[in-house]
Amino acid sequence: MLRFKSIISRIVFLHIVAVAITSILMSLALSWLLSFATDNIHDKAMQEQAVSVGNRLGLDSDGRLQLDLPLDLLGLYSQAYGRYSYAVIDDKGTVLFSSLPDHTALFPADTRQAPVEFLHHRRGNATVFGASVKKTIGDQTVWIQTGEDLANRDVLTDDIVADFYRNVGWITLPILLVLLLADIAIFRRALRPLREASEIAEGIAPERPGVRLPTEAIPREVRPLVSAVNQGLDRLEEGFRIQRDFTADAAHELRTPLAVLRSRIDLLEDPKMGDALRHDVDGMAHIISQLLDIAELDTLALQPGEKADLQAVAAGIAEFVAPLALAQGKDIALSGPTEPVWVRGNAEMLGRAIRNLAENAINHTAPGSTVEFVVEDNGTINVLDRGPGIGEDERKLIFRRFWRRDRRKQGSTGLGLSIVQRIAELHSASITVENREPSGACFSLKFVALKS
Amino acid sequence: MRLLIVEDNEELAELLAKGLKTAGYEADMLSTVEEARAVLSTTFYAAMILDLGLPDGDGLELLREIRQRDNPIPVLVLTARGGLTDRVHGLRSGADDYLVKPFALEELIARLEAQLRRPGQLLGSNLRIANLAFDTQNRQASIDDQPQVLSARETAVLELLMRSKGRVVSKKQVEDHIFGHSGEVASNAIEVYVHRLRKQLSERGARVQVHTIRGVGYLIAEEK
Repeated sequence: MLRFKSIISRIVFLHIVAVAITSILMSLALSWLLSFATDNIHDKAMQEQAVSVGNRLGLDSDGRLQLDLPLDLLGLYSQAYGRYSYAVIDDKGTVLFSSLPDHTALFPADTRQAPVEFLHHRRGNATVFGASVKKTIGDQTVWIQTGEDLANRDVLTDDIVADFYRNVGWITLPILLVLLLADIAIFRRALRPLREASEIAEGIAPERPGVRLPTEAIPREVRPLVSAVNQGLDRLEEGFRIQRDFTADAAHELRTPLAVLRSRIDLLEDPKMGDALRHDVDGMAHIISQLLDIAELDTLALQPGEKADLQAVAAGIAEFVAPLALAQGKDIALSGPTEPVWVRGNAEMLGRAIRNLAENAINHTAPGSTVEFVVEDNGTINVLDRGPGIGEDERKLIFRRFWRRDRRKQGSTGLGLSIVQRIAELHSASITVENREPSGACFSLKFVALKS
Repeated sequence: MRLLIVEDNEELAELLAKGLKTAGYEADMLSTVEEARAVLSTTFYAAMILDLGLPDGDGLELLREIRQRDNPIPVLVLTARGGLTDRVHGLRSGADDYLVKPFALEELIARLEAQLRRPGQLLGSNLRIANLAFDTQNRQASIDDQPQVLSARETAVLELLMRSKGRVVSKKQVEDHIFGHSGEVASNAIEVYVHRLRKQLSERGARVQVHTIRGVGYLIAEEK
């Protein structure tokens, strides 16, 4: 079975098949009509010949039938010419006159039924076509038969048939081809609303879930498909909404009990006990935050045309994490341009990525060392630490969800870097990891820089 | 001084009230937007702690209504959603500050007091870190309860740092606070003032440290 990728090519193919079949059928029909017409002409000619032969029949003084053909007719029916022949039979079937050498009738069948009859008969190698015409002379009734040997058929009528194919037959092909081109044009025009719908469909993305395909201009035959796609999009949008709502609800349901627990611990009278519990609750809150971030990121997408100032975001995160770092005896420093560095992206998501890199760096950097944020004009943010660095073999693993180098280490979920990676994906940003001399790691996120 | 807690989780509301009581504040508890609307129109509170997810509506709606009626009550919003966009949304609706659950009671009280100490609000004006205190009323710093003489600019820097205890103050904020929007600021002027302040504080025995977060700003904290 032939398969076509495009409707146009399918139509062209089927049209060519149809054109081929049509031209064959048309030729057959036309040639049948033509031969019918020529046969008709021929029959008429034979009838006329029979009439003119009949006109030469007369009665002699004894009342016997006489055939007195003029010279031109004699030549026509001569043996030498051999093309035409005639015979006259009476009502008993007796052959009265015949141009044939054996003096027989042209048509052996009984021709004495109808006044005019058209017949054909095989004689030896030849097929004789002809007519039989009834004529009454005096009290005698005779039938005059005239015939033509088809092997020697009239050249003129044959020429008409041949000419028909040469001249008329060739016209049908271009006409059918023009029709084909017209069909393609009509079809392309009819498909235009579909092409427009496709362009709209290309713009459908999670950040624009409200987009639907237009149904007004769509041909009625295709409208069920377009409507079904729109309904499918409705369901998808609903799905996104449910998941977003779920994330928001889950955040509330998980964080409120933690807030209760945390407040209860803060009000404990034994402060030593409280410190350990607080640490646990804070760790749990951190895990929940990261899980919610991941869930939220799975339903989020970048709005087109959204931009963020990487410098401002980095400064905001540096401010945010500085107290945490200082509390652990570690420093934070930010360097790079002080003017805005515009990149394609969402400030909130950029901030989460940088925050996760920063928290990782603070956790791993040696006490007394500095975690550095370096912003570059080309839209890159580097986060450098003085920790143990990342081994070659670990560089692929670190971005996996829940991967941890040391599972016994508290407070690490293994989610931070997978959040960073997801945000980088959403922003078409690249992540690179390098080790520093003498020790430490440098994580770089390169976003798409915009000209300010 | 009475505070209003609007929080539908009764346990959390009670724990907050209990925590605030240890810090010397009495608090009333409500759990719906409807009740809060009714009570706020008749009763005066020093500040409100408002949860956003309430059973009969969104806390932000209530907040907008209050602000439309020009009620200047300081509002500290509690929310389970920590996104920056949520935060910006909350602050635009008229929240004065914002805390993501779960939070430390200490942090809640500190943020609340920061609001209550703002001009026109009710709280006394004594900010304190370790043995360093700062009275915002007469702009007087003291160490171990001994008043200290500092230059006007050192005092201004110290006030800003003390008001933002536990948080980083950006260099830009310090510049704006000291010089306003007038005139050019020498690029190292702020560094010079902070350096002098740091020297003064350590020479006079204050057990605090003014950290420089290079490229970001400054933070004052108890010395370790």
